Amino acid sequence: MGVLHRQRWCGATGLVVPLLSLASPAFLKIAGVAPSWAVLWLLPWALVDGPGSGAVAGAALGLVLDGLHPGDVSQVPALLLLGWWWGRIGRRGAPIERSFSLGLLALLGTVLLGLSLMLQLQWQGALPLPLVGWHTLVAQSLVTALLAPLVCSLLLLRWRQVASLRG
Amino acid sequence: MTGRWFRVPTLYKIVAAWPWWLLVAALVGVRLSKGAVVVDAYAMLSRPFWPGPAQSEWLRSGQRLADQARLVELERDNRRLRQMLQLDRRSGGLVSAPVISRQPAGWWQQLELGKGRLDGLAAGAAVLAPGGLIGRVASVTPTTARVLLLTDGSSRIGVWVGRTQQHALLQGLGTARPRLVFLEKDPGVRPGDVVTTSPASTLLPPNLTIGVLQTLDEQAVPAPEGLVQLSAPVDAVDWVQVVTR
Repeated sequence: MGVLHRQRWCGATGLVVPLLSLASPAFLKIAGVAPSWAVLWLLPWALVDGPGSGAVAGAALGLVLDGLHPGDVSQVPALLLLGWWWGRIGRRGAPIERSFSLGLLALLGTVLLGLSLMLQLQWQGALPLPLVGWHTLVAQSLVTALLAPLVCSLLLLRWRQVASLRG
Repeated sequence: MTGRWFRVPTLYKIVAAWPWWLLVAALVGVRLSKGAVVVDAYAMLSRPFWPGPAQSEWLRSGQRLADQARLVELERDNRRLRQMLQLDRRSGGLVSAPVISRQPAGWWQQLELGKGRLDGLAAGAAVLAPGGLIGRVASVTPTTARVLLLTDGSSRIGVWVGRTQQHALLQGLGTARPRLVFLEKDPGVRPGDVVTTSPASTLLPPNLTIGVLQTLDEQAVPAPEGLVQLSAPVDAVDWVQVVTR
């Protein structure tokens, strides 16, 4: 486990995720679909704080976000898995800093999250047209990947500073 | 002498009088057509002197006023009859609520309203926007309410096509236009028909406008299907009205 989770204010920044999901600014949408703010916050957190903290943060975010939507579809499994996976990537090999790498990881994470939601919605019969699901998945992945170099870089920089100071 | 009075005119004289016969035929034609030609001619000639748009507007505003008064009377009558039939057990109050979060596209189609249980809102309540019904309240907190839009993939409500008096199922697809699934093989509907809530509905207020049937697939199996263009602008509405029980 890293040191970020010991800093309360760092964890408190996660509260922005549900607020941004609710606000969903129109100018940050592609074809009416908002980015996955959970992915944009979780990626730098897990890269800095490791797989254990990433998995816990992913599960916590998923639980909060599940409460914001109707139905029984859950984002917890996908976010938990992503937090753990990105934490492992952050601990092994060279530190990830390049915009392309961040964008690619965010793209893959959003695709995984979208696929998990799509399967669950399909299973429950709440997605009568699979084409609509693919449209949402592609649009959300694109806009998240485009925002990742900007948002994730800033968070990654700040949290690495905090981790180096406290660690 | 008497024989001269009864003498039949010669055929030549009858034929020579053809203009008169023609005139008689024209007059008979006018009579039989109730003066159609004459009135049409009069309309054409008097067109420059017809009343201007001002009088027409007066007439229209008068008609609107009469329609409104008639609507109020009909609503009152309808409410009384529904109470007699015990179809409507709700008071039908309306609460205006601001839209504080809007997700008309994506994995879910929902709204968050800035009023909740403390203002009398409850799960299942109908939500109206200018233009008609847009969804139902899915859940409430003391100060907020979540609305599941008619366009959401999990939304399903029974609706009514008034012209043909047919029941149907309105099913959200996740797109802007929900699908209308008919229950009968030959519903007799056509694009342009208005879709409303059922007049016999006890879950939703009756006779609320939902939208207009835009396309119809009569070859769909097991029953015809169509797409409905909602009459309320779901992605642009800032205030809604919630029907409280």
